Amino acid sequence: MNTQELVTLVPWTIIAQLCNLFIQVLLIKHFLFKPIKAVLEKRKEKVDEQIRQAEEANAQAQAMKEAYEKDIAEAQGRAGEILAAAQKTASDQSDRMLQEAAEEAAAIRARAQSDIAQEKRKAVNEVKNDIGGIAVEIAGKVIEREISEEDHRKLIDEFIENVGEAS
Amino acid sequence: MNIDITGAKIFYTFPYDFPVLGKFQITETLVVSWIVMAIITLLCIWLTHDLKVENISRRQALAEMIVETADHFVVGNAGEKFRKLVPFIAALFATSAFSNLISLVGLRSPTADLSTEAAWAGLVFAMITAQKIKSSGLGGYLKGFTSPIFVMTPFNILSELATPISLACRHFGNILSGIVINALIYGSLAVASAALFGLIPGAVGRVLSQIPVLDVGLPAILSVYFDWFTGLMQAFIFCMLTIMYLANAAEE
Repeated sequence: MNTQELVTLVPWTIIAQLCNLFIQVLLIKHFLFKPIKAVLEKRKEKVDEQIRQAEEANAQAQAMKEAYEKDIAEAQGRAGEILAAAQKTASDQSDRMLQEAAEEAAAIRARAQSDIAQEKRKAVNEVKNDIGGIAVEIAGKVIEREISEEDHRKLIDEFIENVGEAS
Repeated sequence: MNIDITGAKIFYTFPYDFPVLGKFQITETLVVSWIVMAIITLLCIWLTHDLKVENISRRQALAEMIVETADHFVVGNAGEKFRKLVPFIAALFATSAFSNLISLVGLRSPTADLSTEAAWAGLVFAMITAQKIKSSGLGGYLKGFTSPIFVMTPFNILSELATPISLACRHFGNILSGIVINALIYGSLAVASAALFGLIPGAVGRVLSQIPVLDVGLPAILSVYFDWFTGLMQAFIFCMLTIMYLANAAEE
């Protein structure tokens, strides 16, 4: 079989090898780069989509968190108001009750004092009546008879006894 | 000992004689090139069948790694505007590397034929020149030959022409030297084993000395350098220089 020279340039081989390289570029582009690039692109899209979704979810959560915080702050404010109102009401009520109690106590004392005064007046009047009655009686008795020593003593005792009974 | 190192075999010669090109010959170079192309293409098809977006196989991971490595290699060295050259560089590297390594299975490397490298280097030279004209205009390109002074023009033209020649001859020389050294090693080891076993007297020595026992083992170790390392290295260097020349041409 014939062979080429060891070191030689054959125009047809050069052309054929150029064509071969060109075909090889097309083959490698079509069978390696195109499918791999497509799958890489697809994966990139998927990852981008996932990142976008995650960001969306994050924003949503953030908004929800803010809403909750606002709600909680409002509720806390409301609770404070209610508490303050309740405290005010309670202190008002206790003040009023204390005042009422004091007034009542004062009224009771006043009534008691007026009762005492009335009783005292009544007692004085009764004593006056009694003394008058006794004096009249004594006078009647003096007029009725001579009074002996004995009688006299007796009369005084009787008087005192009567006074003691009357009082 | 006779070592015969020849060029590629000619399988068939078409009878029609073209004016300048001569007769078209189906040579060993072309046939092995087609085998290499078939191997690369089948490898690509095998790598990229059944691709998935997630939960990928190791095969797909390898394919993606190859594509991304090629991307980084070209774009990282030459810049973003050469991204469309990635398949070309990948094809050049794959063809060169597989052509160099196919000698491991006993076929003659297509890259052991200067015509192959001449075709590649000529194409690369055309691309470099086109890039230079594109980036600085035809006038700027021609004017570049006269810099720094007019007297330098012949030397500039020489250095310009040296680019494809050195590119082609570097690659070819390395592969050819690998073949020559391989043949020398096999031949000399055969002689050595014949001499060694010839020392055994009688029929045993005569039979054993006909078998090149020493050819088993040592050449395989040496082929790690001369076939694997040189083969991959030259493919890498060729692609690297191509990218560097193109990037330089684009900067001017």
